[in-house]
Amino acid sequence: MSDVMVDHTQKLEETAVPNNLEQQDKQDEEQPQQSVQENAEYEDEELHKHLVPDIIQLPLIPPSAVEFNFASYFAPDFMKPGNDQYVYRHANGLCVVGLASTHLAFKDKGGITAVDFNVGKSDRSGMKVTGKRKKNAQHFESNTALCKVCTNGDSYIVRCCVKGSLLEVNERLIKQPELLHSSADREGYIAIIMPKPADWLKVKASLLSLEEFKKLRVLC
Amino acid sequence: MSNEVESPQVSDAMEVAQLSSLAAVDSHAGSCEAEMPSRLLNDAVRSLPYHVVKDLLSIGVCSRCVLRILGTEDHIYCHSSFSQSMLCSVLEEVTSFKSEGDFQFCSVCSGILQLSYRDDKETLVKMKSPNDMALVIAELVKKEGHQVDGFSLEVSIPQFILENESSLLSGMKKRYESEPWFQERLLSKCVSVKDVLKFAITKPLETLLDTKASASSFRIRLTYTHKMALENSVERNQGFKRRKIGTENGLQNVNDESVVANKDCSDYPANETIAVTGRSSLKVPIDKVSEPCHLVYLCYRTHIYLCGRYLKYSRNVSQTRWIIDEERMGEASVEEIIGSNILPMCRGDNYKFHAAGREDIDVRMLGSGRPFLLEIQNARQVPSKETVKEIESKINGLENKLVGVKNLQVVGSQGWTLMREGEAEKQKQYCALVWISRPLEDEDVCSISLLHDMQILQKTPIRVLHRRSPLEREKIIHWMKIERIAESSQYFLLHLCTQAGTYIKEFVHGDFGRTQPSIGSILGCRAEILQLDVTDVKMDSF
Repeated sequence: MSDVMVDHTQKLEETAVPNNLEQQDKQDEEQPQQSVQENAEYEDEELHKHLVPDIIQLPLIPPSAVEFNFASYFAPDFMKPGNDQYVYRHANGLCVVGLASTHLAFKDKGGITAVDFNVGKSDRSGMKVTGKRKKNAQHFESNTALCKVCTNGDSYIVRCCVKGSLLEVNERLIKQPELLHSSADREGYIAIIMPKPADWLKVKASLLSLEEFKKLRVLC
Repeated sequence: MSNEVESPQVSDAMEVAQLSSLAAVDSHAGSCEAEMPSRLLNDAVRSLPYHVVKDLLSIGVCSRCVLRILGTEDHIYCHSSFSQSMLCSVLEEVTSFKSEGDFQFCSVCSGILQLSYRDDKETLVKMKSPNDMALVIAELVKKEGHQVDGFSLEVSIPQFILENESSLLSGMKKRYESEPWFQERLLSKCVSVKDVLKFAITKPLETLLDTKASASSFRIRLTYTHKMALENSVERNQGFKRRKIGTENGLQNVNDESVVANKDCSDYPANETIAVTGRSSLKVPIDKVSEPCHLVYLCYRTHIYLCGRYLKYSRNVSQTRWIIDEERMGEASVEEIIGSNILPMCRGDNYKFHAAGREDIDVRMLGSGRPFLLEIQNARQVPSKETVKEIESKINGLENKLVGVKNLQVVGSQGWTLMREGEAEKQKQYCALVWISRPLEDEDVCSISLLHDMQILQKTPIRVLHRRSPLEREKIIHWMKIERIAESSQYFLLHLCTQAGTYIKEFVHGDFGRTQPSIGSILGCRAEILQLDVTDVKMDSF
């Protein structure tokens, strides 16, 4: 949701009082059936006036939920050339990590064929994190492997980029690896990581902002 | 009064004269008490076993304790104008007992029923009659500014007094159990210290406060404590096994409902100091009580509740006070707007705000409004119906129009149960302003309206995942309706009715695909939500 919208409280003062309002005051005590209905209809109308927006104020293309709620960071050539990853950080500290659009895997003809979370010492898709305190979440370093993305000719290791607890991996990628092609920056995310505040500050220094990343990769 | 034995008739006459002049002071008190109190008292005293009275008086038991232990009914000796000295004289007169020495605190009640105590400034206070204590309480009520429509009187006394009493009772049992009067008097009719005190103070208090004692939210509490009790209570609790009548902290339970405490002597442990040989002598654990109890008077009103429905017209107002790092989020809160307008009208100490569910700071609450309950602590005044209407108009008339209130009314404690009902089970109705990445087709409007009771699966939204458990929650979207916006092909209003607990924002934009299905997945494109309003919280009882 966007800050651009004007607060509709201003509209309230301008709403004209319809005639049947006076009638209702007099009939308040007895409340015969007709005036109850009128009352309800009037309230619905009033409500509706609040709901309809002022179209002129709305932008043609609004910012997306991700743009609005997350700060975007990028790790170019992470651990290996061509391994471009993104880190979207929410105001509450949680980080969503995934493949940036410039990742080498997307340049492969034939596209991405499979995503395998069984890397390193355990299958990342098998873990169960429970409770508010996120028990059983594995603590990973920024270079810990999250999954392997396979194309026809090659395979690429995707890593955490952020040191922290692994809360969740995107299991849908196992059955639907094509999500990486359709929307690597949303439905095709790789994992959600929760870093400690101190760890975040350390890694933030080595990440690029969207602007810096665009310049680096010469994107429009 | 002379201590010599006089002929009954003469002393009677003198006392009657004295007593009836005292009785005339308070003519409000009860039905037959106008001319009778002195006569009733005398008759009652005469029916007591004189030797027992003497025995008790000689070990330092005060007159009221003597009368209550021997089962005399409250109303006979608790008349508000009967003073200690008067009662004492009557007992001594009738039973030919000669008291020696100065005033002593009662060896059983430590002066409580002698209306003696230390106040909060450590001053020794000896009230003449129960009326005087009632006066102190009335003064306090007035000073606090309470408006009373009834009161509930509570007394709490130190544990050791009960122990003194049980000790004495078991001693008396040993000594007198073969005597004829014993069965009738002692076994069932001993009245407790608390009940006597409450009875004595209640009538004059009713007069002074011009109201009746009832099960009221306005409480008057007398708390007696004793230094010795506090020191020894730890010892006692460690040393002895749990007794039937034992309570924590050495203080008796305040919420004692019974008027007459039924004491079964056989339950009480024997007093260790009683000699078993021959006719056992009567003893109390403390021979001379040097210090009376410490008394604290307290009057307060238990929570009163106001309920109603609130509307939130602003997208920059949180439901409750929200402060992070000393900075307030949003420009105001519903809680503070409502609470700060109601609290002064009740002249209360504090308020607590409770609502049936909540909405985000940027979500408006429109339509029927959301039920809420406002708890007021220690209100000095319960607002009238007119006052409540005034408060409602005032809040609705505030210049900044951030919040509105409906159906405001004072409600009893059942307000709680009514509220809790609404939270989990009920359906909520919303209106969302949605944008999609392609033009809206008629087909879309149609297909959306055909979906009824559609089940969705929501993983805990990322925006709350830091503080909530990672779970997958099944929710139901009961119905949806698209309302086109005239000048736009990609913006529209989505009206929907969902199960309580559904995350609407995530249902629209999909939350990285973690809510399935979402508006985006149903329409096959990207969907974003710009505004959300709650339009109905269905709850009949509110």
